[in-house]
Amino acid sequence: MSRALLLADPAGRYINAGVIQISVTNAVIIGVMVVVFVLALVVPFPGRRHHDRTDRDR
Amino acid sequence: MTATQAGGTPPGTSSKSWTVRTRDRMSRVVPQGQVLPDRQPAYMSSWIYVFGVLTLAALIVVIGSGVLLAIGGVTWWHVSSLGHFVNSLHLWSVELFFAFMVIHLWGKFWMAAWRGNRALTWMTGVLAFLGSIGTAFTGYLSQTNFDSQWISGQAKDGLNSVGIGAFFNVLNPGQMLLWHVALLPLVLGVIVLLHVVLVRRHGIVPPIDSEGADADVEDAR
Repeated sequence: MSRALLLADPAGRYINAGVIQISVTNAVIIGVMVVVFVLALVVPFPGRRHHDRTDRDR
Repeated sequence: MTATQAGGTPPGTSSKSWTVRTRDRMSRVVPQGQVLPDRQPAYMSSWIYVFGVLTLAALIVVIGSGVLLAIGGVTWWHVSSLGHFVNSLHLWSVELFFAFMVIHLWGKFWMAAWRGNRALTWMTGVLAFLGSIGTAFTGYLSQTNFDSQWISGQAKDGLNSVGIGAFFNVLNPGQMLLWHVALLPLVLGVIVLLHVVLVRRHGIVPPIDSEGADADVEDAR
C-alpha cells in the first residue's frame, strides 16, 4: 500500500447522493438527534398532570 | 427615618438621577416574580421544553472546561493526560451543546415560537446559533495540530470566496485563539443573556392549538 493511500485510508466512509455528500458518522449523529427530538415529543414527562377543564375549574 | 429616606426615590416616580432611572428600568425588564419562576404553565410538561435549559447547562460546562484549558494553555492536552481529559470534556460538552441547541431550534421552529411579540427572542436565538458556530470554528483552529492547519486552509478559501476574508485571517492562530477565548465568548455570552432575559420577559410560547393559552399561563402560575 502506498504512503498516499495510508494517509487517505482513515478519512472515513461517506454517503454520496448527487450533490450531497455526508460522512456516515455525521449522518448517524443527525439520525440520533431526530430520534431524540421525536422521543421528546412522545415520551410522557414525569409527574405530568392532566389539565382537563374539570381539573382547571377546581 | 421614612422609607423614602432609607431607600431613595420611590419606584415609579420620575427622577433626574440616572442611577434611579436605570434602577427603575432594570426592575421593569422582567415582570415581578418571573426572573426565577417556581411555577410554569401546564403545557410545559413536555420533554421538548427541556432542551433550552440543557443547552444552557452544556454551555456552562463548555465555559468551565474552557477556563481550565486556558490555565494549561493550548498545547497542554498534547503533553498531559489531565489536559487531554479537560480537552475532551471541552469537546464533548460542545458536541452536546450543539445537539441540544439544534433540537431546541427544531422544537421552537415547529411551534412558531416567534408568535406573541417574541420576534426579538427568536432573533437573539438565531444570533446565538450563528455566534456559536463561529466560536466552535475558531476552537477547531486552536487545536495546535494538523487538523487545525487543514481546517484553516480550507476555511481561508471558503471565506475569501464570499468576500469576508479581508476582515480577519483564519491562518493567524494567535488572532483566532484570542477570538475563541475572549472576543466571541464575550459576544456570545451577551447574546445568550439577552435571549434568556427575553424568554423570562415574554414567557414561554404556548402551543399553537391552545385557545387563549396566554390566559391559561396566568391560571397555572
